[in-house]
Amino acid sequence: MTPNSRSGAGRRSLATLVCAALAAGGLAAAGVATLEPGAASASSHREAPLISGDPQYDNTDVYAFVSPDKPDTTTIVANWIPFEDPAGGPNFYQFAEDAQYDIHIDNNGDGQGELLYRFTFKTHTKNKKTFLYNTGAVDSLDDPDLNITQTYDIDLFRLKNQKVEYKTKVADDVPVAPSNVGKASMPNYEKLRDQAVYKLPGGATSFAGQADDPFFLDLRVFDLLYGGNLTEVGNDTLKGYNVNSIALQVPTDMITESKHQPIVGIWSTTQRRNAQGYYSQVSRLGNPLVNEVVNPLKDKDKFNASSPWYDGQFLKNVTNPELPKLIEAIYKIKAPAEPRNDLVDVFLKGVKGLNQPPHVRAAEELRLNTSIKPTDSPKRLGVLDGDNAGFPNGRRLTDDVIDASLQVVEGELVGSKNDLGDAVDKNDKDFEKSFPYVALPTEGSRGPLAKGTTDGADVRNQLGDALQPAGASGSDDTTLIAASAGAGAAGILLIGGGLMWWRRMRTRAY
Amino acid sequence: MASRTNADESETSAESAVARRVRLGGSAVLLAIALTAGSIAVGALRDGGTTTTAAAAPSAVSPALLTGGDLDTSIASLQDHLRSQPKDFGGWATLGLAYVEQARTKGDPSRYPQADKALARSLKLAPDNEQALAGRAALAAARHDFADALKYADQVLRQNPYDERALSSRVDALVELGRYDDAAKAADTADARKPGVPVFTRYAYVRELRGDVSTAERVLKQALASATTPGDVAYVAAQLGQLAWNQGDYKAALTYYARALAADEDYIPALEGRARAQAASGDRAAAVKNMADVVARYPLPGPLVELGELYQQAGDQEKADDQYALVDAWTALARANGVNADLDTALAAADHGDKASALRAARAEWKRRHTVHTADALAWALHVNGKDTEALPYARRATATGYRNAAFLYHRGMIERATGHAKDARSHLKAALKLNPGFSTLGAAEARKALKTLEAAK
Repeated sequence: MTPNSRSGAGRRSLATLVCAALAAGGLAAAGVATLEPGAASASSHREAPLISGDPQYDNTDVYAFVSPDKPDTTTIVANWIPFEDPAGGPNFYQFAEDAQYDIHIDNNGDGQGELLYRFTFKTHTKNKKTFLYNTGAVDSLDDPDLNITQTYDIDLFRLKNQKVEYKTKVADDVPVAPSNVGKASMPNYEKLRDQAVYKLPGGATSFAGQADDPFFLDLRVFDLLYGGNLTEVGNDTLKGYNVNSIALQVPTDMITESKHQPIVGIWSTTQRRNAQGYYSQVSRLGNPLVNEVVNPLKDKDKFNASSPWYDGQFLKNVTNPELPKLIEAIYKIKAPAEPRNDLVDVFLKGVKGLNQPPHVRAAEELRLNTSIKPTDSPKRLGVLDGDNAGFPNGRRLTDDVIDASLQVVEGELVGSKNDLGDAVDKNDKDFEKSFPYVALPTEGSRGPLAKGTTDGADVRNQLGDALQPAGASGSDDTTLIAASAGAGAAGILLIGGGLMWWRRMRTRAY
Repeated sequence: MASRTNADESETSAESAVARRVRLGGSAVLLAIALTAGSIAVGALRDGGTTTTAAAAPSAVSPALLTGGDLDTSIASLQDHLRSQPKDFGGWATLGLAYVEQARTKGDPSRYPQADKALARSLKLAPDNEQALAGRAALAAARHDFADALKYADQVLRQNPYDERALSSRVDALVELGRYDDAAKAADTADARKPGVPVFTRYAYVRELRGDVSTAERVLKQALASATTPGDVAYVAAQLGQLAWNQGDYKAALTYYARALAADEDYIPALEGRARAQAASGDRAAAVKNMADVVARYPLPGPLVELGELYQQAGDQEKADDQYALVDAWTALARANGVNADLDTALAAADHGDKASALRAARAEWKRRHTVHTADALAWALHVNGKDTEALPYARRATATGYRNAAFLYHRGMIERATGHAKDARSHLKAALKLNPGFSTLGAAEARKALKTLEAAK
């Protein structure tokens, strides 16, 4: 290699070179813009991403209820991939191929699953020369114009003391309902979805595919924590966003221990194949609010990786919860006395005489007493409003778990009657009357753009913008605050805050 | 950037080269400060009673908001949010992390001081909060302060053993400190706890450094398959490109770089990698054009040297010298700022600049950390300064982990030749050319020439 001779720079002076480089933006950008040592680093260290999105492994919600139109069956719905933006382009959302999507059922209250339904997915591309999702209008699930499709298998494991006793394949290569990319591509989406409802042997039915996110709440209250400038509640933040759903309807006697012990505990997990080739659990969800609101930040990741059997380690988070204390500190709503055994019942054991199994071990599961008949007129606050067929006896799609949980956390069951809520009482879309019950996904061609966003903005930005406090301009929304905040809006913000963590961070540290 | 103008062009050549460089460094620094002050949004970070306007004050608190790919938009909305909610420590931590990520993806380290301020603000509001400490670890690693990075990462992991960022920063720190066994263990742990793109890319690198190319490739492919954001796709595809390039598979490298650029057409490492792969596969015209584009955006020593060598190879010594002169200017600017010129600088200077300062830089870096890269840089800097006997053990150390890097093998072979180990020299030069025959425009030619001489003398 030839040594450089300084005089060789010729007619162009060094100054000219440097100035030209500066003019091009290079040298300044290359790290000499500041005088701090260490600020200018070159590329010898491999800077790997710190911020990655992996929503495919992110469990958002679990629902379990006695099927209203088929009361001898139980329906379980588990959702993944929060904030699917229907307007996000020629976008489609897939289940991950390197994941195991699991639904666990504990039918004897011991904190261990006796049954495990495992859903695993495969992706198929018809025309590898194009990355287009569909190459023409799609009329059926096997339409050649539907270029990228997914199918799934279901394996059923029967377990005893966390050991597999036997395993059966209950479904093989079942088609997934595609993402609803829009009217032009999918003129009759409902038909496609119907085709994805699949009868399994033994009287069970399954569905996997896109659906409207059934969760409803107002996340904007989050801002309150930091400035108390809540000016508006009552908008469903998740309106217009979709999720990927797995729904399973099984004859109830297939999952319960016996006719005399009809209470089951249900939760869902996601396992992801790691670099070493085995599966690590990265997400877990039973009750809607435990990890997000009850568990403090430092425990959230640990909770996601653990199983209900070990939930004793989180007991203190429940008996001595942070949330009511925070609410008391900020909003002067008195926190109920500790230890909060009422919360242990609701979140870890089930309510005595309702959905607490005999010999129960405290463990975080969505507990459902399958012997309680479904009602024709469900109440959104469920058990709190005398409707024992709903949350926290299982969870129906229509249950307002934010309001119910907030009221319970603030002492509804221990004499502190309250009426807290976020003023969002139902989902923006109606649910179906029969399996899979979830509402059809919002279609791509008419997805909403949140206020202040443009077409190019990504879904998470949209959410960020949707969260703007309406009163930032100092408008006269104070009446609204007074109306909704009074006692109440206070708490939701914390719940909302927890939910922010919960819905987006479950598998991440941030 | 648009407002930058050429300043003093009347520089004469009367001064000594060194004095001129230092002085230029100084004035360029001032210029740079003047030009970028406006763009450093520290002002935006002041929480002081600035009232928000009617414009949006979006709340964007979670770092997950940053995953969408449009970091600039996310940062702007975070800044807005923090103006109205200045006590949101989580928001400050997120902003700090976002700046670190922006520095990485844009290759712009002027973000680091901003990151530092945002993280400090977060820690002031909530001492020892996990998010800010994890951000600190990431920032320290980005600034090559790997001992600090390790310290902060461990601090976070004591609170939350599953913190993805701290697990990742810990692997980075151990790798860059040359503690490869510990790094491998840390990567296994991270992988067991938080499988995902950030951990997969580290896991692959640790394996590659030990010569396990097939595992590195398998894991990077797994990462690519699950990458959803453009930033992740660009990063992972570019890593696969570099891995292929390191093995001399230029066709595969070009395919991966194309994939990376399809996800993010401005991704600098992919632009640079593509130019190198084009050069190595003989497409000189495209290589020159594309490397000139990289240098225009971001004139770091590595691309400058490559571009210079491409000119030099074609006989255009004047243009080549311009590039090498810019390497020196870059180094002078860095030094004038009290910044340690880093490894690339040492290597560039060893081949095309001030050999003595190359050796000083390499020795200083070796003092800080013993890695295969610092060993190689020190070996080569010693070699060009005629200290071959001293260089030999470092050259051996650089290749001892099994890392398949043709430049390291070439350096070792040349040093062995100079110390009279003709047989070893032949085998290492041969290995370098077999592994990646286009590893360096001029270096590969030198290697061939040296090998020919050695074979003739056999």
